[in-house]
Amino acid sequence: MRTSILFSAVATSIVLGTAGCKIVKNPDPNATQETAEQQTDEARMAAYAREIWDAQVLPAVAEHLVPLSDLRTALAKDVDAAGAAHGMRPEGEANPWNFAVSGSGVIIVAKTASRAAKLQLDTDDDGKADVTVQLGPVVRGTAIRDAMPFLDFSNFRDQIEFAKLAGGLNAMAHENLSVPEGDLVGMTATFEGVFTYKNLTSSPEVVPTALSIGGS
Amino acid sequence: MNTNRRTFMTGLAGVVTLASTSISFAQGKGLIAIITPSHDNPFFKAEAVGAEARAKELGFETIVLVHDDDPNKQSQLFDTAIARGANAIILDNAGADATVAAVQRAKDAGIPSFLIDREIKESGIAVSQIVSNNYQGAQLGAEEFVAIMEETGNYVELVGREADTNAGIRSSGYHDIIDQYPDMVMVAQQSANWSQTEAFEKMESILQANPDIKGVICGNDTMAMGAWAALEAAGRNDVLVVGFDGSNDVRDSILAGGIKATVLQPAYRQAQLAVEQADTYLAKGSTGLPEKQLMDCVLINADNAADLETFALGA
Repeated sequence: MRTSILFSAVATSIVLGTAGCKIVKNPDPNATQETAEQQTDEARMAAYAREIWDAQVLPAVAEHLVPLSDLRTALAKDVDAAGAAHGMRPEGEANPWNFAVSGSGVIIVAKTASRAAKLQLDTDDDGKADVTVQLGPVVRGTAIRDAMPFLDFSNFRDQIEFAKLAGGLNAMAHENLSVPEGDLVGMTATFEGVFTYKNLTSSPEVVPTALSIGGS
Repeated sequence: MNTNRRTFMTGLAGVVTLASTSISFAQGKGLIAIITPSHDNPFFKAEAVGAEARAKELGFETIVLVHDDDPNKQSQLFDTAIARGANAIILDNAGADATVAAVQRAKDAGIPSFLIDREIKESGIAVSQIVSNNYQGAQLGAEEFVAIMEETGNYVELVGREADTNAGIRSSGYHDIIDQYPDMVMVAQQSANWSQTEAFEKMESILQANPDIKGVICGNDTMAMGAWAALEAAGRNDVLVVGFDGSNDVRDSILAGGIKATVLQPAYRQAQLAVEQADTYLAKGSTGLPEKQLMDCVLINADNAADLETFALGA
């Protein structure tokens, strides 16, 4: 029991510590004044995702960023070696690798009216889409959460809380995008983001942390 | 008690190496207690079978016990495991809150617990908590459900037992996907407590009140089987049913054109993994892994159902 209290105390102080720093450095008008206990899981994890986004998430993405074309070559040669060199994943059996990648390509399909909006890009000039960029607000998967080495499931109460954290991080990704109106097909999109590796034949479904669209 | 037993076993092993009447005695690793819900649900049976098989391969003796989702019974089983001098406990628990005290009691008695399938609401008491990534799995199931519903129509959700975290997390995963489609309308949401018979009864009455349903999404496979039986009995084979677990029953239904999809939890492997981590922990004092570990789920539909056998996907 004592250990668990200590663990929670440590976890809480880490959360509060991060929150404290962030507020001093960069006051957020949307930051809620409620204490953690009064909030729902969703609100608490959304607030936590907002606190760590600039301070920890974006730096972790930048640190592990690899050009998609280089990663493709490395994966084709040896998935485990590519994962060890560039990937991020939680410890445990059979957890898939997550990669932070940068790239650019021509927009082949732009499904922007959907709640699960996405772009499909051709990044290797063969005229065929080979990367999906998830625009949201409905963003599939938990790639950003699972790629963060400092987010450990053991420090969260249960899967529900941990799932809400993934949702909060996906929402941050969506919030920081600006997608121009109009027909985007044929334009060039340049992106940075995270995806969960499935296999060599599945095209990556990237959750973008940066995206610019323009030119053709 | 524990130490005495181990010393005795080691001594015995030294003396009777040549006799080797029993493999487990020869290796003398001790006793693993495997405690799960009732084996009536093949999912829990697969867990128990997987854990027992791996424990024996690694040289342990085993006792296999069921708590029937009754926290009081589970508490008594922990007392039994402690009294029998178990070296480790593999547990699929009877409630996220109610189980904390039992696992703590085992820990105080020097017996580490390795949890599978269901979490408890405290960290730092069990050594491992290995659970399926229910949220990820539920999203897979929901995406398939939305696709076969063609993004439109009335549907029903059958939810699992409320005290079980997995019931809430799956429902949350379903709705995070389905609720994004405004033409998907939930006309009824009821708990059938993971039970096939309860799902049958609930489905019958829901169908009477809402004959215009197009789909049913269920929190597990036994409820999907119950719902499908009720729909078939009412001549409603047109209703699209999706489950969660990846049982052989649902696999057979998918292959026969009944239930449309389910989500496989790697239950057999998960149970084996828990035993392997117990073995490592007993030998080294640490598993070398974080306490809470997620294992991803896999969508099962007509494309890959034939490869499914006892909660594992073959080649």
